[in-house]
Amino acid sequence: MTSGIVAEIPWLWAGLSAYMVATLVSMWGVSPRFAGMPIIQHKTHEYIVLGCLAIGVVLLATAIGARWMRIGHGPWISLFELLMSQLCSLGLIFALLYWRLPGMRPSAVIVLPVMWILGSWVLTLEPTASHFPATYYNVWKWSHVGLGKIFLALLLAGVGLAGVMIARTTKLGQNWFRSMPSDMVVDRLAWRFMMLALVFDSLMLIAGAVWAQDAWGRYWAWDSLETSAFLTWLFLAIGLHVRLTYKVPHWLSGLLIIGIFCMAFATYFGAPYISPSAHKGMV
Amino acid sequence: MFKVLRRLASLKMTLVGMVLLISGSMLMYGNPADVPVWVVVIPLAFMALNLTAAIITNKRINHQPGLLVFHVCLLGLVILAGIGRLTHLDAHTEIPIGTEFGADRLLEVRTGLWHSGNLDQVTFVQGPYTVQYAPGLRRGLTHSHVLVKDAQGQWVEKVIGDDRVLVVEGYRFYTTHNKGFTTLLTWTPDGGEPITGVVNMPSYPLFDYKQDNEWTPPGTQQVIKFWLQIDAGLTLEHAWTLDARNSSAVLVVTNNDIRQELHEGEAVKLPGGVLKFDKLTMWMGYRIFYDPTIQWMFFIAVAGVLGLGFYFWRKINLQPWTEESLEEASQDKPKEPLKEPLKETMSEPLKHTSQLKTALTKPVTTQHMSISQRSGHDLAAISKGRS
Repeated sequence: MTSGIVAEIPWLWAGLSAYMVATLVSMWGVSPRFAGMPIIQHKTHEYIVLGCLAIGVVLLATAIGARWMRIGHGPWISLFELLMSQLCSLGLIFALLYWRLPGMRPSAVIVLPVMWILGSWVLTLEPTASHFPATYYNVWKWSHVGLGKIFLALLLAGVGLAGVMIARTTKLGQNWFRSMPSDMVVDRLAWRFMMLALVFDSLMLIAGAVWAQDAWGRYWAWDSLETSAFLTWLFLAIGLHVRLTYKVPHWLSGLLIIGIFCMAFATYFGAPYISPSAHKGMV
Repeated sequence: MFKVLRRLASLKMTLVGMVLLISGSMLMYGNPADVPVWVVVIPLAFMALNLTAAIITNKRINHQPGLLVFHVCLLGLVILAGIGRLTHLDAHTEIPIGTEFGADRLLEVRTGLWHSGNLDQVTFVQGPYTVQYAPGLRRGLTHSHVLVKDAQGQWVEKVIGDDRVLVVEGYRFYTTHNKGFTTLLTWTPDGGEPITGVVNMPSYPLFDYKQDNEWTPPGTQQVIKFWLQIDAGLTLEHAWTLDARNSSAVLVVTNNDIRQELHEGEAVKLPGGVLKFDKLTMWMGYRIFYDPTIQWMFFIAVAGVLGLGFYFWRKINLQPWTEESLEEASQDKPKEPLKEPLKETMSEPLKHTSQLKTALTKPVTTQHMSISQRSGHDLAAISKGRS
């Protein structure tokens, strides 16, 4: 950071630190070396992870609020804002799933490091103020972005389970994820996240099309981001058709999910910022 | 016939269609203007055929209401998108303040083969407008006042701009970044009647440095050059609002290398007549969009997602989650694409709904399990490990 300390930075660091603690504790919890410790046996560490996640979400929400007050608009425009916002929403939704589905909790050791890719990335970016375009006052923006956040979080939860299935092809992975249900159950749950993701992805595209029609006078124009989002939807549809129809080995099923997530990741954090003709160019 | 349909409906065909559509979309990526639209139209048409055949023949689709609704809606979307392209109109127009819109003002018109809207009945009058700019000349909100006729034929004022669209007779008018100054001029030919009209200058402030245009008075061969020296209060350092009411200008008229400056209300004698600079005003550029299918597309898309959601909700709620039931279910699972619908493996939904909590929602305790005794993800060991 070369631009000095601005209001959101301390909160951002604090939130990411909480996520880091959650990551380390979750890793500690699955490691066979510490399996005999009472705190692990009684699953107390899972509450520490959940608590850290919750604290991280609150701190990141505070960071977003501080930035909002500083520059006058929400986290909609720059990559810095987008990453910070995604870290908060992904953390929130994953924390809810972590709380409600104890059986999938060990998958946090895969999910949280993925979030750390975003966390490390945001720390390399300048928190410079962005300009809020007139077309972003549209109310459909809220539903488009909100649905997109749920979609990405569901994919991320699926990635965690996909990682478990792939890791379990090794001895180490089998030991780490010994307390999770069988691959059959994990696989089924992972694809249920994918099903829900398809629903939210479709809703996100609809809300985005309405917003685009209002804001730019066309509901679809094959700009880079739209094309990328459509490809993600197609990848997801293909994955679901393959999974529901063929008997796919669990490791391959996991790879399919990770492939879909990579496409979505590129759509969210690549297309808008590498192409001048994407949404960024439309503002 | 049914055999052909079944073949056309196969999932392999669907996957081929999807791969073709992905390829077409990738070709379009970042360059939609230079790639023929057929790269996506052909895969979409192929998939529409495949989908139609699947809806008719595939019991997995047509025996499950949610899935049926979703796939029918997908087909409906493709058909509506096609109809939309055939009936659409895309155009631009530039309307000076105080002027009524007319179909003869359209620029860069692109229409579908079946376009038949009532554009000639569209009427509104452009009023004053403002455009806010943040420091650094970053465009903010546009407030464009227009007069529109209501159902009783009375003129009613509306404020549009950015995402607040003016919709008349199904035609949607969007303000654009393309707007600028215009000069209201009166040309009085020698011994003739005065004619009043406008000469639009290039987009402002985009072409702040190049506010010029040319005009040939009616009945003459001479080309008169105009250069507008504008004082609109433009500043890069502070927030600024573009508004004709806060702007003034000097019109530089050049004819046969003779240069003359006119303020508002002043006139100049030119060969063949007198030119008067009546007033400085502005023009607004609109994008016009017409597609009668968009509302239907929205409703069908939402219905499709609701169908999909209903199907997934039933699937998630009714299908077993327990280890034993999953094992049973997996034994029924074919290795090849299914020809017949999957039978639900459960007959007692309530029982399974209650079982939902056992596999994933109940905390697993491993304190009595020995890692060395576990062979991978041994189902029995996990079951025993549950408290």
